[in-house]
Amino acid sequence: MIGKVAAESRLPGADEAPSELRIGLIALIMLAAFAIFVVRLFQLQIVEGADLASRSERNSIRTLRLEAPRGDIVDREGRLLATTRPAFRVRVIPSEVRSSERAYRVLGELLDRDGDELAEKVGVPVGRRRFQPVALETDLSYLQLARVESHRYALPGVVTDMTPRRHYEGERTAAHLLGTIGEIDAEELARDAVPSYRAGDVVGKSGLEHRHEAHLRGKLGGRNIVVDVAGQEIEVIDEVDPVPGGRIVLTIDLDLQRVAEEAFRAEEFSLRGALVAIDPRNGEVLAMVSEPAYDPNLFPGGVGSETWNDLVSDESRPLRNRAISGQYPPGSTYKAVVAVAGIAEGILDPEEKVFCPGEYRLGRRTYRCWKRGGHGEVNLDQAVLGSCDVYFYKLGVELGVDKIGEYARKFGFGSPTGIDFQGEMPGLVPSREWKERARGERWLKGETVSASIGQGFNLATPIQLAQAFATFANGGTVYRPHVIKSIESWDGSAKRYPERSASLSAGIDPDVIRRVRQSLIATVQDPDGTGARARVEGVLVAGKTGTSQVVGLEQIKGLEDEDIPIRYRDHALFVGFAPAEAPEIALAVVVEHAGKGGGAAAAPIAQKVLAKYFEKHPVEGSPVLTASRRGGIDTGHGAETIAPGEAAP
Amino acid sequence: MDRRSIQNFDWVFVLLIAVLLTFGLINLMSAAAAGVEGGTSNVVRRHMMVIGLAIFVMGLTTSVDYRHAERFAPVIFVGSLFLLGLTLVVGVVTRGAQAWLFSGGSIQPSEFAKVALVVMLARYFHRNPPSTIRQLRQLIVPLMIAALPIGLILLQRDMGVALLTLLVALTYLPLLSIPLRAWAGIAVLAAAGLAALWSFGLKVYQQQRILDFLDPGRDPLSSGYQAMQSRIAVGSGGLLGAGWQEGTQTQLRFLPTQHTDFVFSVLAEEWGFVGSTVVLAFFFALLLWGLWIAQSSKDGFGAMLAVGLVGTLFWPATINIAMVLGLAPVIGVPLPLFSYGGSALMSAAIALGLLLNVSMRRYVF
Repeated sequence: MIGKVAAESRLPGADEAPSELRIGLIALIMLAAFAIFVVRLFQLQIVEGADLASRSERNSIRTLRLEAPRGDIVDREGRLLATTRPAFRVRVIPSEVRSSERAYRVLGELLDRDGDELAEKVGVPVGRRRFQPVALETDLSYLQLARVESHRYALPGVVTDMTPRRHYEGERTAAHLLGTIGEIDAEELARDAVPSYRAGDVVGKSGLEHRHEAHLRGKLGGRNIVVDVAGQEIEVIDEVDPVPGGRIVLTIDLDLQRVAEEAFRAEEFSLRGALVAIDPRNGEVLAMVSEPAYDPNLFPGGVGSETWNDLVSDESRPLRNRAISGQYPPGSTYKAVVAVAGIAEGILDPEEKVFCPGEYRLGRRTYRCWKRGGHGEVNLDQAVLGSCDVYFYKLGVELGVDKIGEYARKFGFGSPTGIDFQGEMPGLVPSREWKERARGERWLKGETVSASIGQGFNLATPIQLAQAFATFANGGTVYRPHVIKSIESWDGSAKRYPERSASLSAGIDPDVIRRVRQSLIATVQDPDGTGARARVEGVLVAGKTGTSQVVGLEQIKGLEDEDIPIRYRDHALFVGFAPAEAPEIALAVVVEHAGKGGGAAAAPIAQKVLAKYFEKHPVEGSPVLTASRRGGIDTGHGAETIAPGEAAP
Repeated sequence: MDRRSIQNFDWVFVLLIAVLLTFGLINLMSAAAAGVEGGTSNVVRRHMMVIGLAIFVMGLTTSVDYRHAERFAPVIFVGSLFLLGLTLVVGVVTRGAQAWLFSGGSIQPSEFAKVALVVMLARYFHRNPPSTIRQLRQLIVPLMIAALPIGLILLQRDMGVALLTLLVALTYLPLLSIPLRAWAGIAVLAAAGLAALWSFGLKVYQQQRILDFLDPGRDPLSSGYQAMQSRIAVGSGGLLGAGWQEGTQTQLRFLPTQHTDFVFSVLAEEWGFVGSTVVLAFFFALLLWGLWIAQSSKDGFGAMLAVGLVGTLFWPATINIAMVLGLAPVIGVPLPLFSYGGSALMSAAIALGLLLNVSMRRYVF
């Protein structure tokens, strides 16, 4: 056609027009080019189409893990101790950052951080890691978030998102109980008990956070999203919601916990020590204090190595849970156990008077009573309330160390209470057999003298002391202490009570325990009682003080109290329960290196906790009268020591 | 315009232009929908305005007899050289090239210089018909004519357009009557020229692009990124494509400069093999029709002009599509009638208007 038209229309003067052949050559070149394009399109779209399409998908589809918010931990009344709050973080996807120098400088300004430092944190990753986001800040303030958000379009590769973050309501409240969380370490990852953990995940490291990790963690969710070239989410393809972590309801009463903690901190300088309060009717732990404590909010988001080193190297050992790991000589609190052993074995008549001259001779050695000049003629009640050492030296030697140990073990001394917590120590109840085995030496009779007042080899943890006196309180049942009331799903739809009241009988005649309990009442309620400072108005309180020596007396001989170095000063103890006639709370207080006796240093702390408890749970009827009358009725033999009207000073 | 010209109005050619412009507009709307620099609605609105203006310019170019252009060819040519020179003095630097006049309006004189060069060469070859050119030395004058704008464009550091302008000039080569061994000489000269260009004319990033083209996996995330993403986009289109505004590569902006240089990737992703082939067919038809206009012209100048003008459309389209399909290095050359950009569309409008002009007046003699 082209040729025909050209041939027909050739006009004079137009003979320079290009020949058909030459123009056809140009058309051929063009045809060749377009043919190549069609072939190439066929190759890319039809032959390699599926492969390239999947690469296109990989380009734009990402799977996000949706972290489940960690479960709440609440006290027995539902008040929050640990919860989860939203935290905003800003992350950088290295492969998508354009003009990185400027990007980091701008980011630095927005976050009030050094841009170079940020750039260094992200580094220049290679391989797959280029596509993995690097967190620059994990807990943005709202101001920082607003700044970054408003500049996000100028910062490709910078993404912000919200993550759940652990938050502890109280600054240091119940820190040891709650425990700590932190990034999973290589060892934990290798254990792969739960396969869904990945490097960077947060796990419980100690305390309840550790013990109940599986329950608190919840279940991860996932979301497939379409992202654009800057990594910004465009559309959600599908999503599996995370299941929030379950709730744990503790037996702890936050009010008591706070009062107890404040009692330790209220002093001129903070006291060290521990307190455990138990409901003697079922073993529920109402308060568990270890002082000094740490702030658990230091841990979520990664505790800095400097902070960590400070905590670990701190000479006061704030990370240690003294309530279950601290082992102290029980001191005179042990006398209650020795008294039970004496009566139960038929060796001791509680009413028989024993003369205390202020010292006790055994062989060539002389053992002193704490009271110079002695207590004079004392029966059991007087010996307990005045904490007469000589009375118990004599009783202890008559019983022998093995009998004392037998009864101590019935109260739970010498082995872990079984509270479901890592790091519980067993304490120590010495015996002849133990000494042969552990030391390879024969038991010396003089050591029985020390053992009978809870010194020497004896060791007990605060939780053991509380458990033992809960057994005194309830008349002879040993409950396993526990801190968990119930374990629930996050919405409360499923509840379990895993630790309800595992108990066993101490195997002691309840009358014997009741008899010794009278002495314990006298110790607090008698005006001369060593535990008088634990009295609570309107409530009959029973208890026993203790002062446990840290070093032999020789080392501090001749020094005035204030001159004794703190680490040599005695520990002060108080153990008790109330109301004595129908106990609802038993507690043990240890103040390390108090430098004062248990009556002066530990009893006042117990008093504050008891007062709080009875403010919340008042004893029925007219408090003063009730206390006095019941005291008179219940105490029977010891009635003369508790004059009505003096019961509640 | 006389009655005869109107009677001979080339409706087929106009229809082809209209179809391609429509395809281009629809495709650009999708490319811009993902959000592009300047804002989606702004880009679409401006492109439609430019199309309107282009139609007006086409009409204007058609209305005046093209033979006047022969007389004014030196003026037009020198005018275009002046504008190119002006860019060097007061031009705006964008993407490494100082090729634009005025930052806001951004007129790119090199786009128009191609057409002006064709007008000038058409005049030369009209007076010295290519069929009479048998020796290489007879090419010295046309080569010097072509070297002027190409040299100025090189000075702007706009490699792609310089190469393009050279190719446009070379469109006349098949018309010459130069014997085979002379072609060998040209090949040697070309090789030497390319080598010199590589070492002295190319910036490092331009060398990178060529290396990336030769080995696309070299560094898929930096300079090879565009080529890689473009190939992924084209490939994922498959037989029928993802559908209009459904291409993920496009809509998620994985494609670079998708509304300008990589606009064909958008077409390929969203319309697939079938759609792309149809558009290629229309393009080919348009170019072939242009050659037929050259063939059927009774006037040497008209024929020479038409051949050159087809060249100004064919070469950018070829380079652009070859680049998108991974057959050529990434060179910033827009696809005529499809890419967003005023100067390119306007120079295409002038070329198409002139072709229409030649076509209408083929019976005037």
